[in-house]
Amino acid sequence: MRSHLSDFKKHRAARIDHYVVEVNKLIIRLEKLTSFDRANTESAKIRAIEKSVVPWVNDQDVPFCPDCGSKFSIRNRRHHCRLCGSIMCKKCMELVSLPLASKLTSASKEALSSHTSPSSSPNSVHGSRRGSISSISSVSSVLDEKDDDRIRCCQHCKDTLLKREQQIDEREYTPEIVKLYEKLRLCMEKVDQKAPEYIKMAESLNAGETTYNLEHANDLRVEIQRVYEFIDALSKKILNLGLHEEPQPHPKTLQLQRMIRYSATLFVQEKLLGLMSLPTKDQYEELKKRRLHMAALEAHRRQEEKQKDSTSRSVAAVNGDASNLKKGTVRKSEGWLPTSSVSRQCEIADPLLQQIDNITSFIKQAKAANRLDEVRMLQENLRQLQDEYDQQQTLKAIELSKKQAEEEEMQREELQVLCEKEWEREHHKFMSQHSRTHSLDFREVKQHQHEVTKENQNLIAHGLDLDITQMKGNPSSETTAVQQLPAKDNFIFPVKPQNVPQHDKDQNRAACLNPFEDETDTPLSEEDPANPFAKDISPLISFSNAIVQSDKKEYNPFENEEDEQTNGASVSTSNPFEEDENPCQKSGGNSGNPFEEGSSTNPFEVEDGNEISEEEAIEEELLLQQIDNIKAYIFDAKHSGRMDEVEVLTENLKELKYTLAKQKEKSNC
Amino acid sequence: MNAVLAVKQYVAKMIEDSGPGMKVLLMDRETTGVVSMVYTQSEILQKEVYLFERIDSFNREPMKHLKAICFLRPTKENVEYLIQELRRPKYSIYFIYFSNVISKSDIKSLAEADEQEVVAEVQEFYGDYIAVNPHVFSLNLLGCCQGRNWDPAQLARTTQGLTALLLSLKKCPMIRYQLSSEPAKRLAECVKQVITKEYELFDFRRTEVPPLLLILDRSDDAITPLLNQWTYQAMVHELLGINNNRIDLSRVPGISKDLREVVLSAENDEFYANNMYLNFAEIGSNIKNLMEDFQKRKPKEQQKLESIADMKAFVENYPQFKKMSGTVSKHVTVVGELSRLVAERNLLEVSEVEQELACQNDHSSALQNVRRLLQNPKVTELDAARLVMLYALHYERHSSNSLPGLLTDLRNRGVSDKYRKLVSAVVEYGGKRVRGSDLFSPKDAVAITKQFLKGLKGVENVYTQHQPLLQETLDQLIKGKLKDSQFPYLGPNTLRDRPQDIIVFIIGGATYEEALAVYNLNRTNPGVRIVLGGTTIHNTKSFLEEVTAAGFRGRSTESSQAPPRPSSRR
Repeated sequence: MRSHLSDFKKHRAARIDHYVVEVNKLIIRLEKLTSFDRANTESAKIRAIEKSVVPWVNDQDVPFCPDCGSKFSIRNRRHHCRLCGSIMCKKCMELVSLPLASKLTSASKEALSSHTSPSSSPNSVHGSRRGSISSISSVSSVLDEKDDDRIRCCQHCKDTLLKREQQIDEREYTPEIVKLYEKLRLCMEKVDQKAPEYIKMAESLNAGETTYNLEHANDLRVEIQRVYEFIDALSKKILNLGLHEEPQPHPKTLQLQRMIRYSATLFVQEKLLGLMSLPTKDQYEELKKRRLHMAALEAHRRQEEKQKDSTSRSVAAVNGDASNLKKGTVRKSEGWLPTSSVSRQCEIADPLLQQIDNITSFIKQAKAANRLDEVRMLQENLRQLQDEYDQQQTLKAIELSKKQAEEEEMQREELQVLCEKEWEREHHKFMSQHSRTHSLDFREVKQHQHEVTKENQNLIAHGLDLDITQMKGNPSSETTAVQQLPAKDNFIFPVKPQNVPQHDKDQNRAACLNPFEDETDTPLSEEDPANPFAKDISPLISFSNAIVQSDKKEYNPFENEEDEQTNGASVSTSNPFEEDENPCQKSGGNSGNPFEEGSSTNPFEVEDGNEISEEEAIEEELLLQQIDNIKAYIFDAKHSGRMDEVEVLTENLKELKYTLAKQKEKSNC
Repeated sequence: MNAVLAVKQYVAKMIEDSGPGMKVLLMDRETTGVVSMVYTQSEILQKEVYLFERIDSFNREPMKHLKAICFLRPTKENVEYLIQELRRPKYSIYFIYFSNVISKSDIKSLAEADEQEVVAEVQEFYGDYIAVNPHVFSLNLLGCCQGRNWDPAQLARTTQGLTALLLSLKKCPMIRYQLSSEPAKRLAECVKQVITKEYELFDFRRTEVPPLLLILDRSDDAITPLLNQWTYQAMVHELLGINNNRIDLSRVPGISKDLREVVLSAENDEFYANNMYLNFAEIGSNIKNLMEDFQKRKPKEQQKLESIADMKAFVENYPQFKKMSGTVSKHVTVVGELSRLVAERNLLEVSEVEQELACQNDHSSALQNVRRLLQNPKVTELDAARLVMLYALHYERHSSNSLPGLLTDLRNRGVSDKYRKLVSAVVEYGGKRVRGSDLFSPKDAVAITKQFLKGLKGVENVYTQHQPLLQETLDQLIKGKLKDSQFPYLGPNTLRDRPQDIIVFIIGGATYEEALAVYNLNRTNPGVRIVLGGTTIHNTKSFLEEVTAAGFRGRSTESSQAPPRPSSRR
């Protein structure tokens, strides 16, 4: 590496000095020329003043126009540049209008107070010069107009002035995309900052530790979640900038917007996946108790096993290593869900213990060999393993103890699913109308027209997941749809028992930020497709497209799963999220479920909802509830001064009220 | 001594230095290749670089809200483009990085064009070569010589590329070159000249044993680029062609749209990284494992669905899973195509005879096998020609040489005139007269014994018996046994210890078989680090183009018995 910057600067400084002096000279003269009232001064006097500003070149010295070379004569008269005094013919003459002059002079006055060099603000941005004064004035259809309110000058001076004007414009103008982008980056930074903190909390809480406060963690979670919504909405806004304007933006601008959106999507995907859910209050209490209990039990057991296993070490080491490695790849730097790694390890409980033992012995050996780094590393390793084992044991215990509560939980679960579905449908509506513009890859979307049928199927898909007996008390109209399919229910039954207890363990699913929530449910009701492999390598299949494609580029991993669902599901062919390429949208749909609890806040969710169509009958009660929620959000947003949010929310509120009114109308007639 | 890492660090530094904000990366044709070899688009996107532009593209819109990072070769055209750009800047601020040494006068003209003071940085970052693997680099130059002499433009470019590599790896080497090759000597001198001139740049911390640059000539070993390959990377290049990590699969029958062109990069493809040096059979079984693993991860099997834990694991694995599905389909396609070609072209049989021609000395058996294969209709024109070329190279001076007969066979088979001429051209290019080292018969007692023992034990794999000459050369170099008479030092100083850091450069192009040999040498000789470079990386086709471009057009087959005479087209 070698820097030429100082050399470069040296050469540039020499040149720039010259240039700046030139520009300033012109501007000073311009100011002098415009400092008096031209309209009310007689032309002779004007001429005198003009001549005093800059000495005019002698007429005799210039027989030809220096710019175009035509000979001066009585017909082709000489004109003097008022800024530099040079001579040109009428054709080559330019005019500077008074507004432009005052713009230039006033800007340079400002500049003197704040800036010294023309480019001292490197972040100055480019604006469209479409509306600027100069472009109007430079239309030189001026032959018959009075020249008095314009200043004659040569092309060279005019060029310099125009360049200067452009710089001024650029400095003052911040395009929309920059504003949005800056906000977007702020949000991303916030996530980078908050997410690790949250993950630490969640891990600890899920392990039943008491280091952190559960409510505190929940707040943080909601906060992070909101930032994600922001990122998504902002990037979407960037994507759509200028799309409806005429003329269309330059392809490169569009490309830039697409790339920003793409990278935001990547960001959200990567980070969001790392966010784990929190235990509910009750679960947390349980976890705490269990942890205490298990800790004691654990210590005892470990000691026993240690003695037992020392002989079969070599074989176990291989197994243990393998499993451990596998786990390592699962983990992301941002965090992993302890539940899953634990459940994985349920199957290999023995290897885990063996591994712990192995590592203990390794530490011993390493200590003996005096390799301190290794000891430290191994100890770290050991600690992790033990933690995991603890968690695993804890969860096992919880599972047992929760059998009692199963029934209730199931009921709750299903109620929730129905409500969620309700919400998703609105959401889905919106998406199907807008996915053309909102989607990242603009692929053809054909779902819209099939909406109604699909919704029915959608109901089925969800219905399948439910135990029919639990449905009876449910007030919502979907029950009928489910009851039409008793056979399918039978099919799903064997799956159910395993599902539900896990749900309990996995905490309150409605509050979960995991965007895959629905996916994890839905595939349960799917039948195994005939040729799954082909589909797996074809995540880019669009819904109505039967062609099997293979994935090369990464667009959106979520599509993959969507396709699997749509393809693989013979029962639930349609997926409400098929068109939705956006994880945030999805998570919004789930997490923002306002019907279940008021704690989740999701302004953009609601924004999406403002396309709610009338044919969707939303229950009044729920609407009212939602309105209340939104009011609360608005208050909150106002309180903390997030005005942009307030705006969006208010819009939303209006929409909801409107819907409510419609609803009432309908029910009245 | 990691070429990929060196370039990667340069790019990362460039982007980092420009600070936060939306950025555009302005490059030229060559630097685009340099960057694309080490970074994927999504990796760069995460660093806020959203647009990639060519400096010579006219379709660029002014976007003053972007910062421009210019990574350019310091060519005359680029400097001119840059001057135009700075006169009417399209972006708010410019960070300029040249991939090599730039002259003071160019700096001055750039500075004078920067009237709006938009330039914030001007530096030299020596990423002036294509980093193929950590230990392999290329300059993507085809046809570097005319006859036995350098094309001056290519010599300049090669010198730049090689010195940039030395600078980026922070090595100021001693230089050895192949005495029998005039181009090798010229290049050695040019490199030395640059080192002397830019002594400030080459003032690195002295190591105990100074690094060594060994410059070789392809014409010394024309055999290696003529052989069919059986390790993954080499085979893909031989049969499909790798161009800056990209493989064009558009000619594969029934290929899906997304797989028309695939990228094989060890940097972000774990499977490829683990398998690029394995042979075809091993890859077959590994790809089977990969698929099985993939199927296991697949969430839709009924028994998998029973456990929500598996589902959750799947979801967490999603990015990996996603990536994996891409990897699986890519490698399945590539390997599938390779095995189709192997069967279609009868490559196993062809390769066996090739190896016999390259490694054994049984003339009559070799001749018989070549004749047999020439009758086989499945053998392609190229393969038939290469068999005859190998025969011609090996038995050039054999008493019962029957090359004319084989050439007649080729003609009877309908092999085009172009290929038949190439047979003699290849002999002209790399025949015995030209070679400095003995390619076929072992030269000392040790080597003879070795070969004898090998003969007794039988070869492990008949398709991969051949070891490139480079392996032997480097082996001797590492042991400190490489003869000064054949590979003299440039300048008075010689190396007393065994070399540790070795950069070996092959004028006329390296091959992936040699890359593999270097990889193995690096692995088996702790303390020794070798980086292999070439004006390009050859497969047989590109090698034959190189021979043609060098002006060895060969004579018409009828007069092929006349002794070869180097053409002097210059």
